[in-house]
Amino acid sequence: MKKKLVGIMMAATMIVGSLAGCGSQTDSTTANDAQTKDVAEASTKEETAATEDKADDTNSDEPITLRMAWWGSQDRHDKTIAAIELYESLNPNVTIEYEYYSFDDYFTKLKTLVASDEVWDVFQLGGNFPMYLDKIYPLDEFIATGVVDVSKISEANLKTTRETDGTQLGLTNGINTYGIAYDPAIFEEAGAAIPTDDWTWEDYQKAADTITEKLGIFGSSTFLTSDFIAGCSTYIGQQGDLGQYSFFNLDLTGMGFDNPQMLAPFIQMRADMIKKGSYPDAGASAEVTNIENDFLVTGEAAMTWVAVNQFPTIYNVCAEQGRELALAPLPKVVAGGNSGTLIQSSQMLCVSQDSEHKEAAAAFISWFENDVDCNNILQAERGIPANENVREALSASSTKGQQIMYNYVDSVSKNPTPKEYNVLSPDGQDQVQDNYLNYIQQVASGEITAEEAAEKTYADAQAIFK
Amino acid sequence: MGDKTKTKADSLSMLINNDNVVGHIFAAPFIFGFICFSFIPICMSLYYAFTDYSLGNKVAVFVGLKNFLMLFKDEVFLKSISKTLQYVLIAVPLKLTFALLVAFLLTRKSRMVTFYRSLYYVPSLVGGSVAVALVWKQLFARKGLFNSVLMDLGLKKINWFGSEALAIYPLILMAVWQFGSSMIIFAAGLKEIPTTYYEASEIDGANGFQRFFKITLPCLSPIILYNLVMQTISAFMTFTQAFIITGGGPNNSTMLYALNVYNQAFKYNNMGYACAMSWVMLIVMSLITLVIFRTSKFWVFSESEG
Repeated sequence: MKKKLVGIMMAATMIVGSLAGCGSQTDSTTANDAQTKDVAEASTKEETAATEDKADDTNSDEPITLRMAWWGSQDRHDKTIAAIELYESLNPNVTIEYEYYSFDDYFTKLKTLVASDEVWDVFQLGGNFPMYLDKIYPLDEFIATGVVDVSKISEANLKTTRETDGTQLGLTNGINTYGIAYDPAIFEEAGAAIPTDDWTWEDYQKAADTITEKLGIFGSSTFLTSDFIAGCSTYIGQQGDLGQYSFFNLDLTGMGFDNPQMLAPFIQMRADMIKKGSYPDAGASAEVTNIENDFLVTGEAAMTWVAVNQFPTIYNVCAEQGRELALAPLPKVVAGGNSGTLIQSSQMLCVSQDSEHKEAAAAFISWFENDVDCNNILQAERGIPANENVREALSASSTKGQQIMYNYVDSVSKNPTPKEYNVLSPDGQDQVQDNYLNYIQQVASGEITAEEAAEKTYADAQAIFK
Repeated sequence: MGDKTKTKADSLSMLINNDNVVGHIFAAPFIFGFICFSFIPICMSLYYAFTDYSLGNKVAVFVGLKNFLMLFKDEVFLKSISKTLQYVLIAVPLKLTFALLVAFLLTRKSRMVTFYRSLYYVPSLVGGSVAVALVWKQLFARKGLFNSVLMDLGLKKINWFGSEALAIYPLILMAVWQFGSSMIIFAAGLKEIPTTYYEASEIDGANGFQRFFKITLPCLSPIILYNLVMQTISAFMTFTQAFIITGGGPNNSTMLYALNVYNQAFKYNNMGYACAMSWVMLIVMSLITLVIFRTSKFWVFSESEG
């Protein structure tokens, strides 16, 4: 009995020991911090003897470690790391520990960090930021003190990353919008009508069907999960008067339209196209994992949906194959109607509430968005830079694909847009989206009708707010 | 003073050299790992199953049985149950049959037997990996190997992952292909059957079939039971194939249970709901295992009773 007790005690002490081991690590680092602080203070004291007002400046020599994370493709990782290295060489006292992930993994990691109050000092957020509002440290105070420079960023661009109450949550990494990338040569070969600035979803379907009939390839490549943006957000916004309808309402507290049947025609069109073979079915769609192996790029489709920052990449790939892609606006519900296409922030960089070096983090963000050298490395891969000078510098040296993208964004930004709009997604949208994509397949297989699918999608979306 | 330290050191070395203490020290890393990474999370998931907890939330509001009641209204959940059952009911028997067949063939005395056994075991070694799943995805793709073979034979190509009815079969095939570990266990069991039984039956004039069904199967039945239980449990937990190859589609026809739990927990951010689903799965799996054990007395032969 005694032996057993001793054994258990030993085991217990080992566990406690190793736990303490985990714990003491943080202790020692804080101790280190304290030490370096002491040293810094000591040196400050010496210097204050000489120059009295420099206390603040000596502070900036203190070594600072910033943690940063983002999601994206390999291309983005390489470019961002190069930019970070440039910043470190310019600011020797700042070390940036970076982590990068794919989109899904990024948010899984972020959620665990939110739970443990350890969110990276500088982190990237997209349209789903309302979920993380508590973790964002607004930039307003740094803009006021001049740490963050917004002088070259237009009001409209700043607004893309602002709360409705006017709080500046972050700086946008780039302006972005959606479009249809297509291969005019395939359209001509099949004798389909080339997309115009005022084409409709009907034209889109007709062109796709013609191409499939004539050439035996997909008329339109898969929109992947963006089919939700196309069929719900965009399609709803295109109906009625300008700004009358939106999928979710402006403050994300409920639906932005009343009649579920407004969704039905798009669902019907999509299901018809799948049945006809002019749009990939689920099996074929699953083969497309990113924009670089989209059916448009592989030559198995004539057009595809893109976020325009993706366009230069696929333009270059196709140029190597001797094909030249073009960019058309999104089809409309009726010719001459609302475009439903909005300029939005692709993502933004934010300072975290958990950060111990908020000012340094904000300074980095300001440099990242405003510095020409930095953005020459980044090459607008995250979207079109918000800073005027940067945009000028980039377009001076831009490739053909980038030029098309800049022109397209310019023309879209001239479209009439609703006075207020919201491109954000509420927590829970992922599930609505997955269900919606399933309903389309059920309509295609004849399990349910488009009207039922519309009702179900509406009910799913409504359930978010219960 | 010196005496005291000596006795202290003595008692310490006594303590450390004591068998039980040594045992516990060596077991401690496992105990620590089990408590921290299995036991505590399991207990917490039981609590979270009754809350609306989501990753990133610091407070979990107690919602009682709501998560469990919601399950029965959830179309995707019901579909995932039926699809998982279909998967288990087809994959497990097929896999065991193959494992037994190959193990039986490889009991012959030949020099190549060890080589073949290792060869057949290889798929099980690499089976759970993402890489193999990706290969599988390419094999069954629209322009994959299987379809080019079909086309070369003059047949129509099959849209494996585009068809709701067919999509699950490549996944089942992948599970069946990984019969190695059951095969090794069967092979060991086959060796244990006394050769005297076979000799006696031969004298009595039994043919190969009779010998297999009257001697091999009954003598092997305890091992079949073991394999059946283990494979059923692991089949219920299949995740990689569905996640990598089909992502649950088309129209949720390959939405295996574990994938659905993953989606709810990490994609849709409903951790509490996902915890409830996991516990329902635990109950279902325990029930099925219980049924297998209860029925075992009708078909498992044990020599002590016989």
